[in-house]
Amino acid sequence: MATLNEKKTCSERMENFRRFVWNPETKLFMGRSLINWVWISLYYLAFYVVMSGLFALSIYCLMRTVNPYEPDYQDQLKSPGVTLRPDVYGDRGLRIYYNVSDNKTWEGLVTTLRTFLEAYTPAAQHLNINCTSDTYFFQETFDGPNKTKLSCKFTSDMLQNCSGITDPTFGYPEGKPCFIIKMNRIIKFLPGNGTAPRVDCTYVGDESHPLEVDYYPVNGTFNLHYFPYYGKKAQPSYSNPLVAVKFLNITRNVEVKIVCKIIGAGITFDNVHDPYEGKVEFKLKIED
Amino acid sequence: MVKKKSDVYSVEIYGTKDIEKTETGDTDKKYKDLKGNKKKKKTEELKKELDLDDHQLSPSDLEEKYGTNISKGLSSARAAEILARDGPNALTPPKSTPEIVKFLKQMVGGFSILLWIGAVCSWISFGIQLAQGAESPFDNLYLGVVLALVVILTGIFAYYQEAKSTNIMASFSKMIPQQALVIRDAQKKELPADKLVVGDIVEIKGGDRIPADIRLISAQGCKVDNSSLTGESEPQSRSCDFTHENPLETKNIVFYSTTCVEGTATGIVINTGDRTIIGRIASLASRVGNEKTPIAIEIEHFVYLVAGVAISIGVLFFIISISLRYKILDSIIFLIGIIVANVPEGLLATVTVSLSLTAKRMAKKNCLVKNLEAVETLGSTSIICSDKTGTLTQNRMTVAHLWFDNQIYSADTSEDQISQPFDQSSPSWTALSKIVTLCNRAEFAPGQENHPIMKRVVVGDASETALLKFAEVILGDVMNIRARNKKVAEIPFNSTNKFQLSIHETEDPNDKRFLLVMKGAPERILERCSTIMINGKEEPLDSEKAEAFQTAYMELGGMGERVLGFCHLYLPENEFPDTYPFDTDSMNFPTSNLCFVGLLSMIDPPRSTVPDAVSKCRSAGIKVIMVTGDHPITAKAIAKSVGIISATSETVEDIAKRLNIPVEQVNRREATAAVVNGMELKDMSLQQLDEILCNHSEIVFARTSPQQKLIIVEGCQRQGAVVAVTGDGVNDSPALKKADIGIAMGIAGSDAAKNAADMVLLDDNFASIVTGVEEGRLIFDNLKKTIAYTLTKNIAELCPFLIYIIASIPLPIGTITILFIDLGTDIIPSVALAYEKAESDIMNRRPRNKRKDRLVNEQLAVYSYLHIGIMQSIGAFVTYFTVYAEQGFLPSTLLGVRVKWEDSYINDFEDSYGQEWTKYQRLYLQWTGYTAFFVSITIQQVADLIIRKTRRNSIFQQGLFRNKVIWVGIFSQIGIALILTYGLGHVTALNFTPLRFQYWFVAVPFAILIWVYDEVRKLLIRRYPGSWWDKNMYY
Repeated sequence: MATLNEKKTCSERMENFRRFVWNPETKLFMGRSLINWVWISLYYLAFYVVMSGLFALSIYCLMRTVNPYEPDYQDQLKSPGVTLRPDVYGDRGLRIYYNVSDNKTWEGLVTTLRTFLEAYTPAAQHLNINCTSDTYFFQETFDGPNKTKLSCKFTSDMLQNCSGITDPTFGYPEGKPCFIIKMNRIIKFLPGNGTAPRVDCTYVGDESHPLEVDYYPVNGTFNLHYFPYYGKKAQPSYSNPLVAVKFLNITRNVEVKIVCKIIGAGITFDNVHDPYEGKVEFKLKIED
Repeated sequence: MVKKKSDVYSVEIYGTKDIEKTETGDTDKKYKDLKGNKKKKKTEELKKELDLDDHQLSPSDLEEKYGTNISKGLSSARAAEILARDGPNALTPPKSTPEIVKFLKQMVGGFSILLWIGAVCSWISFGIQLAQGAESPFDNLYLGVVLALVVILTGIFAYYQEAKSTNIMASFSKMIPQQALVIRDAQKKELPADKLVVGDIVEIKGGDRIPADIRLISAQGCKVDNSSLTGESEPQSRSCDFTHENPLETKNIVFYSTTCVEGTATGIVINTGDRTIIGRIASLASRVGNEKTPIAIEIEHFVYLVAGVAISIGVLFFIISISLRYKILDSIIFLIGIIVANVPEGLLATVTVSLSLTAKRMAKKNCLVKNLEAVETLGSTSIICSDKTGTLTQNRMTVAHLWFDNQIYSADTSEDQISQPFDQSSPSWTALSKIVTLCNRAEFAPGQENHPIMKRVVVGDASETALLKFAEVILGDVMNIRARNKKVAEIPFNSTNKFQLSIHETEDPNDKRFLLVMKGAPERILERCSTIMINGKEEPLDSEKAEAFQTAYMELGGMGERVLGFCHLYLPENEFPDTYPFDTDSMNFPTSNLCFVGLLSMIDPPRSTVPDAVSKCRSAGIKVIMVTGDHPITAKAIAKSVGIISATSETVEDIAKRLNIPVEQVNRREATAAVVNGMELKDMSLQQLDEILCNHSEIVFARTSPQQKLIIVEGCQRQGAVVAVTGDGVNDSPALKKADIGIAMGIAGSDAAKNAADMVLLDDNFASIVTGVEEGRLIFDNLKKTIAYTLTKNIAELCPFLIYIIASIPLPIGTITILFIDLGTDIIPSVALAYEKAESDIMNRRPRNKRKDRLVNEQLAVYSYLHIGIMQSIGAFVTYFTVYAEQGFLPSTLLGVRVKWEDSYINDFEDSYGQEWTKYQRLYLQWTGYTAFFVSITIQQVADLIIRKTRRNSIFQQGLFRNKVIWVGIFSQIGIALILTYGLGHVTALNFTPLRFQYWFVAVPFAILIWVYDEVRKLLIRRYPGSWWDKNMYY
């Protein structure tokens, strides 16, 4: 026991370590002879090559089994998420503050909208077709070019006053700002059960004072012919339909809390964990 | 006699002198450093305190000195006063560490420090996040709390386990409170011995343990057994006379913890508790440092190894993540993850449980383990220094041989004899049996008719007891025979006569002669005989017959047996009519020209289980050394009969005798056996002792004092051996403490010995040690398996973090989930491995070399981490990628996605199919990933559990179903995983989700791969022993 409890000095420890790294008597490097190191390295090389091979094979098999057009499961995507443009975040979620008289405070917001809508110019949408029916646009076959499916056109002019064409400042300087509501894409999701889902914006909490909103397109609906979505591979040029909302009577210099819900069968907005499912909430303050 | 005694005295009381001598004469510097000077000082103290003059004072002076009255005793009030001053009359148990310190040690020992670091890091990052106003800082707060809880709970658990085994001991030592008969307030009272105070008048009688150091003031035939103090095995008489200056040698003092064998005495208590001689020696024991147990060293080594891996990987990836431009805060969080993944949180608790399971199993087999870690120590033991009396032997004299009709007969000496097989038809035997029965003062204590003869309590000394029982077994009711042969006169044994004589009426009513029977030292008896009985006929004792007697006597004596001679004489009726007044003082009857009948020899025979146990130790590579206070001849005889000295081996003396050359000329290396006398040992240098220990494989130390036992133990330890020591006396306690594992006797052992020991043999049986060795070795093997099992999944827990940092994929497994594996699913299976049966005959291999055969060796760590661990990680990652791919995120999309994935402001995150996900939807998918990863680790751990059942044999050789607990483990593992995923899948804080059922099977091929790979490994190890593969792959 005595020898085991022996306290080694630091230099002894260092010396021991040096001997461990290279022992000149036994010619052992880190406790192994050099040839032994070669063998063990070769073994591990082979072992890891085989292991990587197995992993690659597994992933290859996985890729072979997954459907390239749509995922096998959509367990998390029962109801679409909703997003808002412009999207400026504060401490707790979306918070849009700006001053009508200070154009620096709203120019960024306007630019965001403009950039966002660039994907909806007629040029960007030229691959898509014009749809007129107000029903779901089912496509069993691949009618588009290169084995794709067709997508319906959505151009920014459908947003009328909020399109940025008639009013390039989206009503911000007037204190009647436009916001764009977008519903997340979910493959083969059919919102509304035959009736077009629509956006409905209200104040949160304060019911006494109704919020005056202009919806574009009319009634703030998402036309059914944009649904169902068949996925990126089938509909490479698909773009989400949008709804723009223009708030007309926002009290100045007061922070208001607004929620925009999408009303329609199959779209839920009561998930306590997910604040962006079926609705979007934001704070808005317009200053003089 | 006086000379001899003073030797004993000097060895005993200045017992440390021997140690000192070795210290100063020792060239070994370490040894000296180890002891320090403290001990010397203590020895000085000891010497000083011995200035005791009570034995020289007259009773009246004593009365004055202690303020007591010999006839009335102390008053209760005065006694209470003194008790308050001196404290109770009990040895202070060795100072134990305060409970709170023990508890705190559990909190900071082992991995706890790492986990504390993890917890503190969590709180720091919580603080930073809170200050920055991030969205969900409380996650880190909770994580820190959980980590702290883990540390505290496992600490409490380990503490509780430790305390439980300590409590067993505490209750054990308190089982029989000692009582003492005290005169107080002029009344005799039975008091608990610990209430005795200095000045009390105490009465003792045969069979009592002396309750304190006592100066005798009156004594009748009092004899004490001082063996626990001095190692002398013969009882010594005590009277009230002052016979020697030295308090230890004077006859009028009896010492605490020795036993009164016979007679009665009254005396004044002069020292109590720790101030008694024994108390001072016992306190020496506590000075001998307690060594770390081998398993503690192994576990420490293992903790260092794992902590080293954890810290180096943690720091490495901290640096990597910083250089990959991660934020400091993120890097800290990664660090926590890496630490948590690397530390097997549940392992130390598992080890404790496994050890205590073994301890329980050993307790059932009569090995009570005081210190949990000592469970394994026995397994690595390479030398056992065993006491003889009581451990190897039955601790009772038994008739072993008889000699009559010129022939030696052997008697049965087993523990539970019911009949004797030797030829009892000779009339000589009838005569001999009559003498044995009648010339005997021993009697059975009343009321034991239903007990087996061998178990009955007898009043009388050891030899007479042996003869009484012997006669009872063969002849039946001895007391009845004695009643029929009424005793008319008796001369008890005394040391001048060396014989015992009695005269009886015969049971034959027609025979009016008296029968004179005599027994005693054979040569003395023979002197008094003129005839000898052969086949029932008296024949003249000529020189030829005397020669035959001598041969028989020498032969029996040479076997280390105590020989008694028996003779008788029928007194002629005419000279001794039935009214004859026999007078034992004037001896008015013949005591010579008797008829010699036979010899009986007795020995304390070995326990019947011992020879087998010793040979088992032999084959297990354990050297058994006998250390006894007994005579060398007896010791050697017993050593031979139990196999400590094997039949073929010879001592130097044997060789000398065989070759007929002087002892000095014998080549010492030729002798495999050695019998070393304590006297020789005294004059031996340490080098000489080392030489003996090295060169002889079979060693007996005879006539040793318990202090020399300590020297022997230290000698063995210098050879690098793990030494087990058995002992029972107070004076053995330093050796017991010094030993790597001290084993005290549960029945014969003193409290001090039990206190110093790590283990108590409840049945005082050497064979129990062998069971202990077996269990110890098994638990060592099984702990290896447990640790290998537990370490494996650490890699599967660690890889996710590493890949997460490097490849920026969504986090595959969360910290909380890891804790659920480490402390949930994995606990029962790893304990189940403790129930695994041995793979091969573990008692056929040598004890492990404590410097080379580590619990966690390089091979074990490498094989667990870099082979099976990697396979598990791959299996788990395949499941992870499968889950993500089938939900919309193909592997290629996942790479480098981390920052956006975790950005709570992005709520339209696009997957491989163009679908858009909110933050929460992604998070929920991430939890599904955690669950999938968790489930695949669990599934593969089942395979890991099965492969860990064996290290060398195929699973089929071991049997899949022999260890049922493994299946309990597997089912619990899967059960817990099912409950977590489906039962608690909706509790968001736990990060589990109800997983689609098919994902449970993704990892199954990898589980099978693990099993096949390991079978191949084992096959190659068995096929090519000693090969490169064997060296690198066998752990």
